[in-house]
Amino acid sequence: MDPKIIADLHKFYPEIVITGTFLLVIVADLVFGRLRRAVTFALTVLGLAAAFALTLPLFGAAPGTMFSDMVALDPMALFFKAFLILASLLVVLAAPGSRELSGSGLGEFYALLLGVTLGMILLASSTDLLMLFLSLEMVSVGSYIMVGYLRNDRQSNEASLKYLLFGAVSTGVMLYGITLLFGVTGSTKLIVIRHALAGAATPGENSLILLVSTLFILAGLGFKIAAVPFHFWCPDVYTGAPTPVTAFLSVAPKAAGFAILVRFFFTGLSQAGQGLTWITFASINWMPIVMVLSIVTMTFGNIAALRQENMKRLLAYSSIAHAGYILMGAVVLTSDGLQAVLVYLITYLFMNLGAFMIVIEIYNRTGSFELKDYRGFYRRSPFLSVSMSVFLLSLMGIPPLAGFFGKLYVFAAAVNRDLAWFAVIGALNSVVAVYYYARVMKTMVIDGGDETSPVHASWDSTALIWVMLIPTVGLMLFWDQVQKITSGSVGLFLGN
Amino acid sequence: MNANLVSQILFYFFAVLTVGSAAVVVFSRSLIYSIFGLLFTFFGVAALYVFLGADFLAATQMVIYVGGVLVLLLFGVMLTHKLYNLDLKTETFQFVPALLLIVAVFGVLLLAMTRATWFSGGVRPPEPTTAEIGKMFMREYILPFEVASVFLLIALIGAAMIVRRRAQ
Repeated sequence: MDPKIIADLHKFYPEIVITGTFLLVIVADLVFGRLRRAVTFALTVLGLAAAFALTLPLFGAAPGTMFSDMVALDPMALFFKAFLILASLLVVLAAPGSRELSGSGLGEFYALLLGVTLGMILLASSTDLLMLFLSLEMVSVGSYIMVGYLRNDRQSNEASLKYLLFGAVSTGVMLYGITLLFGVTGSTKLIVIRHALAGAATPGENSLILLVSTLFILAGLGFKIAAVPFHFWCPDVYTGAPTPVTAFLSVAPKAAGFAILVRFFFTGLSQAGQGLTWITFASINWMPIVMVLSIVTMTFGNIAALRQENMKRLLAYSSIAHAGYILMGAVVLTSDGLQAVLVYLITYLFMNLGAFMIVIEIYNRTGSFELKDYRGFYRRSPFLSVSMSVFLLSLMGIPPLAGFFGKLYVFAAAVNRDLAWFAVIGALNSVVAVYYYARVMKTMVIDGGDETSPVHASWDSTALIWVMLIPTVGLMLFWDQVQKITSGSVGLFLGN
Repeated sequence: MNANLVSQILFYFFAVLTVGSAAVVVFSRSLIYSIFGLLFTFFGVAALYVFLGADFLAATQMVIYVGGVLVLLLFGVMLTHKLYNLDLKTETFQFVPALLLIVAVFGVLLLAMTRATWFSGGVRPPEPTTAEIGKMFMREYILPFEVASVFLLIALIGAAMIVRRRAQ
């Protein structure tokens, strides 16, 4: 065997551990009779924790690519590996406490989640379009199954089918775009594609076909991050899926989608410019396209969220809006912007998962996702109401909560690139968003409800909510570290 | 008749076969007709692979799609009485906007493709590719090759889950 492959394996431990755990969980689910619930859970948690621990030492490694330029090993890839494994771990911890999932065996759920996690970390580090496609499909197919996990729930099955149909179409369109890009550049490797575009005979060569192929590929990537107009699946799928799966989808595959979006556009379709900025090629100026995408996504998400009466639907539209803000950081084409994307994702992880944890716990106790059943919840459970309010305030971007810093970094990155108008659109959007988040808070705290029986959250849910609550409130105390980690993670390997 | 002309005629024959049978797949109201149409589409695509010098791919296409997937599809339909006699509902929504969109996309694609300078690796006589593909799977493409196996396992678990749900 090629010695380079053996050498690369030593930098591939997180992926190997996750694959091993994936297989072990499948076997354990069959072997252990009554104990299998506990054993599969423990295996999954241990496997993910081990993978997380094995990712950290790699941060010191020299940036490069592995397995013949298939995946990159650079700070950005490692950041996303750690981030995605952590997000999966948090969702796994929430799964056993969910009433929706309690009726069915969870072994396959964990196995699928591990498979999707493997797909996500490969997706986040792909530097080859073949690898990109394969890992994207791995994430998608695993997600379709997880969305339809509730066997006898019609809504869950319908959501799964909708997701599959939209996913299949957008993947097909993306694949078509990839073939066109391959046709004009002669390679599937992002680094070679960049060199081919940089070495064009005339500056505007092939601009039309590159535009078409970029738009087609954007359809596939936009589907993953649920950007408008590729978002149609999002509200229905988020509503129909078991809530832990919804929480997972709203954070992890979305972050992986951003990772590959940044990698595709930065290492494939742009080149390093003056200082810490990037410039697009004359033949394919994708900046205005993604900029429009960002504006439309945040505006649509926020406006559509205004009238939602179902909490899962409301959070679905809110997650669409947040995708718009995050895109804003990516599209300004600076290192500041990339750092803003990472900061935003960290804050989004805790506040959005936290909000979903509370939705799960309230469903466990009341059996409802409807906003009207949240009326007067403050008198029933002050803890759940207050912590929900904290997460919502953070999603609004109210200082000094974590969400404020995400927005601050994104808007500052736009202003620094002389795109103040862009930041103003984002800020106006945040104002619109205050309305629907505040409406939930008003319903829970101020409105009086007919039901007054007290609700006690279970100890494991309470503990998990605290795990989300502490970073949401206290992230500013560790801002030096967050600043250091994110600014150290913007490095993308661009080839030798 | 020179060899070039023969290959041209053959190419257009297979191209028309592929597109024509694909149209049958889409427009036929009977599921059985659609599946038989698909047979010719797969066959035509395999022939096009031969024209591209991709011998292994052409053989795989025949063995897996024509020999495997289609037979499974046929069995699936024939064993399911309900599907066999099913008159497919092919309603058309938003006909005019869809038509405009399709024409626009087709026009742009056609324009882009004719105006593009395509990358060319140079014209070479066709060589057997099987051994080379085998080596590549163990070298340059070892990661996608291995990842694809995990991917297929996920798909298998999913399929098993969906089937078991029906039984309950």
